[in-house]
Amino acid sequence: MSEDASLSKKIRKAAQLIMYQHHRLPGVKGYELKKYIGKDFMKVVSLLQRKLDDLGLEVKIVYSDGLDHPNPTEEELEQARFYVISKAPLQMGDASLSGWRIDTLAVFAATVAYLTSKQGRAPRRDVEELLQEKFPDWKIDQDLNRFIRRGYLDEDQNGVLFVGWRTRVEIDRKHLLDMIAGSSPERVSLEPESND
Amino acid sequence: MASRRWRGLPQQGRSEEYYEELARIINLCQSISTKSDDPFLVDIPQKLTILKRLLPKWKLIDDLLMDAEAIRELSLMVKLQSDWVKRRASGLFIDPFLVEVKIKLLSKEALAYSVLSSWHPLVAMDQLTPERLEDALDYWNSILPISQRVKEESPDQTASDRTVDIAELVRLRFISERAFNEDIQKMRSRLIESAKEGPIDYWEFVLGPTYEETVMNAYRLSFLVSKGLANLIINPIEETILVEPAEGVENRRGGRSVAINISYEKWRNMIKEAEKA
Repeated sequence: MSEDASLSKKIRKAAQLIMYQHHRLPGVKGYELKKYIGKDFMKVVSLLQRKLDDLGLEVKIVYSDGLDHPNPTEEELEQARFYVISKAPLQMGDASLSGWRIDTLAVFAATVAYLTSKQGRAPRRDVEELLQEKFPDWKIDQDLNRFIRRGYLDEDQNGVLFVGWRTRVEIDRKHLLDMIAGSSPERVSLEPESND
Repeated sequence: MASRRWRGLPQQGRSEEYYEELARIINLCQSISTKSDDPFLVDIPQKLTILKRLLPKWKLIDDLLMDAEAIRELSLMVKLQSDWVKRRASGLFIDPFLVEVKIKLLSKEALAYSVLSSWHPLVAMDQLTPERLEDALDYWNSILPISQRVKEESPDQTASDRTVDIAELVRLRFISERAFNEDIQKMRSRLIESAKEGPIDYWEFVLGPTYEETVMNAYRLSFLVSKGLANLIINPIEETILVEPAEGVENRRGGRSVAINISYEKWRNMIKEAEKA
């Protein structure tokens, strides 16, 4: 088999491993990619990334500590989980696609921003107190439970809420904090962005 | 993570201030960990100095366990401090108070927009392989209709494992309450007699000529310990377990349970050693 054909086969395999759900969670661990693709799996992932660019998708690497690693070590990459996500964020007009109402999205934004500012975890009671300023109790309870069920949040037996795996994958938390704290040049407004 | 809150264990005949000091360290660490407060509020070297100063005062297993818990909480604080620094460097750090104020000031629509513009939905596909489809077909063909399965289910399968306490055994007439109390009393007298000159080895005390008798002795002794009529002194470093008589329920120390495994192999080895001796 020529080198090109072999590489194409590896790219297809990488796409299959990352996008098809194998276990309870989607995505694949770095060491699994290494096992099936070989030591140069990161090279293959970069090539896959180029192909996904055309489709408006990108490979997202979530490290085990939930933080960004500009120069990850081999071990960090093996422990990280690889996903494919949409490159462009959702637009206001896409809100209905998430299946959530505007006020549920607002509860979600406030919760994730608050938890992120508190090192990714805070007692559920504190989160509820913050949300009670704007939302009724029944809605807060219903929404928090919904986020937990969908993997956006996690809760331990002591009633402490954590940022869940899906939030780490799907939400650009730095951007969210910048938007909410107002430090972003982008203003928080309701004007729809152009899709160009 | 354990959420146990140490409130300074009252220990008869021991100075409570040491326990208070230890409990304060544990509670401080747990509170910071739960509320995500600044972990640098804990002065680790100073707390370690306190633990080092208190260490020679600990004699019993509970003391050492509490000390170990304090060490564990302090090591968690070190990890949190490391995470805190990493987080600050990652750009995800922002003053929580500022975020709280901004959340309160922003409208619902603005909050919703901020999350939508940060949301990159995950792309994933469910799949069904021919092998799994075949497995599913085999399963479907072999499974009985639910009406038949319910009928065939024996009563044993529906019963669940549960713990039967002494009162229930007595009610079922499995044991006699009077005989059991007599056995316990005998066991206590034997313990008092054997431990006249200080705590004695647990295994030496419970070892019987048969495996069944050894298990029964261990069971009776556990009953005495639960009632506060005997104390277990466990030294995890030397891996020894000593037992001593105690005053009674009033002297009973905090609800900690200890599992001691008595396997047939262990009993046989102990008997061999006893015979050699």
